[in-house]
Amino acid sequence: MGTAAALEVRDLVKNYKGAAVPAVNKISFSITNGEIWGLLGPNGAGKTTTISILCGLLKQTAGDVRIKGYTHQKNSKQIKELISIVPQDIALYPALTAVENLQYIGNMYGLKGSELNKRIHTYLEIFGLKEVAGKRIETYSGGMKRRINLIAGILHDPQIVFLDEPTVGVDVQSRNMITTFLQDLNKKGTTIVYTSHLMEEAQHLCTHIAIIDHGVIIASGSPDELIRMHSCRNLEDLFLKLTGRKLRD
Amino acid sequence: MLRLSATIRKEMLLLIRDKSGLAVMFLMPMALVILMALIQDAPFRDYQELKIPLLLINKDDGALGEKIESGLAGSNIFEVTRFTGTEQEARKKVTQGVYEIGIVIPADATKNLDRRVQNFVDETMLDLGLPANDTTSQDTLITETSLPVFFAPDIKKSFKNSVLSSIRHVASRLETQTMLEAFKRELNEGTADSSPEEIGEFIRFEESTASGTASVYELNSVQHNVPAWTLFGMFFIVISLAGSMIKERTDGSYLRIRTMPGSYATVMSGKVLAYLAVCLSQCALMILAGIYIMPLLGLPQLQIGSNLITILLVALSCGLAATGFGVLVGTVFNTHQQSSTFGSVSVVILAALGGIWVPVYVMPEIIRIFAEFSPLYWGLNAFQSVFLGHGNIVDIWKHLIKLLLFFLFTLSIASFINKHKNN
Repeated sequence: MGTAAALEVRDLVKNYKGAAVPAVNKISFSITNGEIWGLLGPNGAGKTTTISILCGLLKQTAGDVRIKGYTHQKNSKQIKELISIVPQDIALYPALTAVENLQYIGNMYGLKGSELNKRIHTYLEIFGLKEVAGKRIETYSGGMKRRINLIAGILHDPQIVFLDEPTVGVDVQSRNMITTFLQDLNKKGTTIVYTSHLMEEAQHLCTHIAIIDHGVIIASGSPDELIRMHSCRNLEDLFLKLTGRKLRD
Repeated sequence: MLRLSATIRKEMLLLIRDKSGLAVMFLMPMALVILMALIQDAPFRDYQELKIPLLLINKDDGALGEKIESGLAGSNIFEVTRFTGTEQEARKKVTQGVYEIGIVIPADATKNLDRRVQNFVDETMLDLGLPANDTTSQDTLITETSLPVFFAPDIKKSFKNSVLSSIRHVASRLETQTMLEAFKRELNEGTADSSPEEIGEFIRFEESTASGTASVYELNSVQHNVPAWTLFGMFFIVISLAGSMIKERTDGSYLRIRTMPGSYATVMSGKVLAYLAVCLSQCALMILAGIYIMPLLGLPQLQIGSNLITILLVALSCGLAATGFGVLVGTVFNTHQQSSTFGSVSVVILAALGGIWVPVYVMPEIIRIFAEFSPLYWGLNAFQSVFLGHGNIVDIWKHLIKLLLFFLFTLSIASFINKHKNN
């Protein structure tokens, strides 16, 4: 595991037009190369806004974001080559087959020919989708859609992958396959930035956790470190202790 | 280039898989073209082709009745039926719609005309200091000959004018002929009884296109409706294109696209080119229908001239304008419902203004001013210039420039809004 920063965030602020309080309020953190970095928080805490800014989908109001030393403002093209996002929505074309979707995404990353086809078929085999490769995505089950959604995000071997609740709504088998694969991917050197509401999964998967609430990071460290520091039984206990039991929108 | 071709391929696959979308883009305009051409065939036909049923009561035994009757029959406009009943009976038949027009030539029509002409000639001769042969009518009040003409209640004003104009033309020639014969009789008594010579036309109108080209195709139902509804169909892809953009945004695909290498311009170019191919296919299909299917339905064959390159340029410009508008609608609106409602209503308005239903020249002046801003008006004018008048690029370049500027304008606005929305 390397020690150089894959991603550095300094005093990040995001104010939405008409909002009374900032969605993200002067947060700073650094993600080391090869980490599985979990960003946890209740609904409306600022997770999606933060991830969207890191991926270049939103512009920050203030602060600095550097990915491998690059900024979105100056080096958008280089950053796009380095990162990838696996969104919570199945961001694929339902009327296209798995292969057609992956060919399109691969081409957009500059991959083509036998190299692209080899990658597509390797991943489809790993994720148990080879038999249905020629079928339209709209015919897939929820678990199959999650798996193909993940393949679409890693097809071009990105150095940093942003995963937004990658296992939501899938069965235990699919979840196990996805988390095992992510750990293997991380071992090969890929930095993973991960958000989830599944505390057990986050505790098991992440090497570092940051808990965000009301746009501010309220805790940061390794899962074991944080649990020990706050004298909690597990990550879920810790999460409730720090963010409260009041229902969020 | 790889990204552009990948986007085009993806869009084409999505289009092919969307069967209902394909039906809207190809079958609907095809049905509209055929249906509207059939419906508007009769109004577009000129009166010579139609043969309007006319009921004639000719009580006159002289030349006027005879000449009006032969003039009407020989005009190829009317299907003349002689009627021996009363004027009242004739009016009833016309009111019932059995005949479109009824004309009554009174019993003394020729005599009345002769006396009136003779009276005029005598007065003229006396004014010129020449001896007048016949002054019998000097003291008699001669009224003008009155020919009752009555129409079916549903006859349009323009049609009435056209019919009256034809009858006046026949009567006027006869008046002139009678007058000349009377003058000749007065001036050359010796030849007064010789057979009258038919007067030819002194002024002849030569009909041609404004551009002065030799071969002229007349505007008929097919010549109007094929380009008109082809354009309508091309612009109707706005709904499909905008819908696909909104779907991409709502299902998250666009979010993924935004994190992938490749500019907004590349992604939009891929979309525009894919839908442009659809527009060109629509255009080709409709033109082929006009050439090969319309005649099978008893309609005139579509004439497209011989300038295929110019036709392609017009189709390209119209297709670009349509896709640009689609991209703008897809960018501005957030739901498919909003975009499809706005898209369809706006295209219908632009089509109405553009003269798709009725020619712009029959519209009120204020509407004609607005029509100048409809891309469908530019497109229709360009198509008709090429199809009807053998127009080349020189004749239509202004329309093409407007269409291309419309494309660039809509894309620029869409790009600006997209940037604003993303921030």
